[in-house]
Amino acid sequence: MSRLTRWLAPRTVVRAHCDLPCGIYDPEQARIEAESCYNIIKKMGANPDPSFTTRAILIKEARADLAKHALDVLWHDYFKPEHLATVPNLHELFWTATKQVSTVKASTDLADAQKLLDLIDEIDAAWKATGGEEKTRVAGRPG
Amino acid sequence: MLPAIAPGDWLLVDPTPATWPRRGSVVVVREPDTGELAIKRLAAGPGDSVPFADGRLMLAEDEAWLLSDATPETAAAAGFGEPRDSRRYGPVPLELLVARVWFRYAPWRGIGPVRTAGS
Repeated sequence: MSRLTRWLAPRTVVRAHCDLPCGIYDPEQARIEAESCYNIIKKMGANPDPSFTTRAILIKEARADLAKHALDVLWHDYFKPEHLATVPNLHELFWTATKQVSTVKASTDLADAQKLLDLIDEIDAAWKATGGEEKTRVAGRPG
Repeated sequence: MLPAIAPGDWLLVDPTPATWPRRGSVVVVREPDTGELAIKRLAAGPGDSVPFADGRLMLAEDEAWLLSDATPETAAAAGFGEPRDSRRYGPVPLELLVARVWFRYAPWRGIGPVRTAGS
């Protein structure tokens, strides 16, 4: 680039971007994180050591955040307005599930974690009912 | 923002868009959700109403409605997802408008004023 061109070149770059979604969505991602929360609560009940409890709480909160993120991505990016015809309670379902993640994040009650797993299973059914299994995995869901 | 603006265009901008938010003009905006500088078209200004959900939304005195020129269909055809604009993040406060794009000075074939839509 010549000195003149360099002098003339813009100093600031702006973008006009669209989303670039990978197109891969699966409620299994949220379920694995939620199962981590479930099992951590179970282990906490079996081990009264305070340092173990502290670590377990930290790990459970991190896993709960990952579960919430995975649910948000499904809600915002995978599901589209036309899916409401197949799953009329879609918004209520995600709202309840993401709030349940917040409950699990602060809870040490196994029943709370189980309730989250049940809600994710409902979301999984909604994903399947809208063709997610065929459309949003590279070669369908394994196994 | 094709065909109005193409990747690699060098642009001159007027830094007073918040004072004169002109409908149809191409603006540089600090995106409300990411804080990144982006380029969009000012589809509606303060006091205008825009189609929203099943009705219309009235913009406040300090808000603008910014849209990409790309429709969801053209973006999808180019391999992208939904355009990121007011349909995603809603009305944009005028204070986030950084500049109005008014002239392209490179490349050679594109030199000239950047047109306001509808003008």
